[in-house]
Amino acid sequence: MWKLLADAQKIKREYLFLVLVVSLSATLIGLKKALPQIPDSNSMDLYAVMMTSDPNKPVFIQSDWTNSTRGESRGHFQGLVRSLMATNRKFVFYSVADPQAPQVARDAIRTINQERKKQGLREYKPWDDYLDLGLFPNAENSLNAFSNSIKSAWGGRRAKDSTGRERPVFDSPVLQGVTKIEDCGAYYVVSASNSIDIAIERLGTKVTMGGLVTGVMGPGMLPYYRSGQLKGLTIGLVGVYDLEYMMEHGINTADEAGNIVVKNRTKPEQVIPPVPEGTTFGQGATNNLALHIALTLMILAIALGNVGMIAKKKLEGGTK
Amino acid sequence: MNQENLTYINVMLGSLAIIGLYSVLWRENLVYRTVEHIFLGLAAGYAVVGLWKDTLYIQWWLPMTGKLTDDGKFDSPGFWPYMLLFPIGLMAYTVFNKEKSWMSRIPIGIILGLWSGQQIQIYWNKFGPMIEASMVPLIPTATDSFFAVPTTQLVNGRIEQKANAVQILANLYPTEAINNLIFLVTLLSALAYFLFSVDIKGKALMGFNKLGRWMLMIGFGAIFGSTVMARFALVIDRLAYIWQDWLKLGV
Repeated sequence: MWKLLADAQKIKREYLFLVLVVSLSATLIGLKKALPQIPDSNSMDLYAVMMTSDPNKPVFIQSDWTNSTRGESRGHFQGLVRSLMATNRKFVFYSVADPQAPQVARDAIRTINQERKKQGLREYKPWDDYLDLGLFPNAENSLNAFSNSIKSAWGGRRAKDSTGRERPVFDSPVLQGVTKIEDCGAYYVVSASNSIDIAIERLGTKVTMGGLVTGVMGPGMLPYYRSGQLKGLTIGLVGVYDLEYMMEHGINTADEAGNIVVKNRTKPEQVIPPVPEGTTFGQGATNNLALHIALTLMILAIALGNVGMIAKKKLEGGTK
Repeated sequence: MNQENLTYINVMLGSLAIIGLYSVLWRENLVYRTVEHIFLGLAAGYAVVGLWKDTLYIQWWLPMTGKLTDDGKFDSPGFWPYMLLFPIGLMAYTVFNKEKSWMSRIPIGIILGLWSGQQIQIYWNKFGPMIEASMVPLIPTATDSFFAVPTTQLVNGRIEQKANAVQILANLYPTEAINNLIFLVTLLSALAYFLFSVDIKGKALMGFNKLGRWMLMIGFGAIFGSTVMARFALVIDRLAYIWQDWLKLGV
């Protein structure tokens, strides 16, 4: 028995990777099970901000993710954009972190627009409904400039209008009535880096800010949420599913059968409806079960490795 | 070739690159190295184009040279002093020359100066609210319930504010006080761990210091766990790309 357990340590890592890949593949191909979810309170607060921000004011999205974190950040970005489109909110997006970031955001928006077209919903049009401001290098100085005057910071940016003519972005319907950063309905940072810290430091006192960050960033962001610097926060792939789950069920909202699926027990007065149209479940729902299976496998591997180590020591007479 | 075929080729190449990159899990090999170098080259090339197109051209070249309207008319005048930025920027590259490397300190000094100036203000923006949120009460003021009670109630299917909601909001219930106590002990013990300028003596102080170390370790453990989860999320997304986007299985 001890010998068998001690041999567990001899399992080659290649076989562990194989088990992982086979299990995840089987889940992604065949097991379509939407797990019930209890969203975190920070995710609930983010969804509440998304759905209650002034619909007449544009939303600013600092999109600082790239393909290296698309497993989480793309789901965050798509959930955010789907909610904005479903509730007819105009938005502006840009990056202050990486030259690749604007392009992955453009690709994600194009995918959602194709999805909406298939569903017979209105496509969001650049210039009229949203603005793509591209990259602003050097997050510290760019965000400082935004804080001082977005008229100056964005003044040189141009975008094509509906006729294809390049015009200053402040002529766009999206930025009508906007003269300073405080004029946005809400400010979201989709990030996998410290660009969110820089945004909080420079803009946190001026805007209602929400964070959509990767699992690596999550623990470091919680103090900002606790102190109210971030009004809402979703973390990692679990946060993506949180967001999608609330887009489907709302918060403290009864469904047709009269059941309240997502309850916010600390704020029972807060009634936030689900999004009125379009796709709700996406990357989070697809990958959530696979994540649980991966984590279970890892816990088993760690347990097996530790038991194997104890068994080996016992056989060698090192542990009584 | 139509758009659909192009998309398929695009996805297929992406999937092959993913398989090539993950082949390193088996062992280091030529396919992995090739794909890695293609990726790095693409990323570097993309960054150069992006920096010119999104940054230098818009924020430096156009304001310096001035703009014309679409029909060729005068729009805005050029601002020639922007020319001075070019040699200052180039000075950064003198770091590669031993004799002239002192010049690279000029642009670096400008950037550091700007950054340092900002720190004075942002330090408080960043830590001020956190310090404020750390000042939490510890002694319960309400005894009618052990647990915090909601400020609203359900009346005939409608959520209504309780008449004494303001009073309830002002109360601190025992559960909240316990929560605040745990927070404060964690905060102080973690800070105590970084007290290097005084000699920590005595069982109580050393124990408190040790508690801080445990709290930090728990925090780092949580960060490590989140990091592992993030890596899994990435591999799951890549597998989804192969099975669902490329091979159209599991759709």
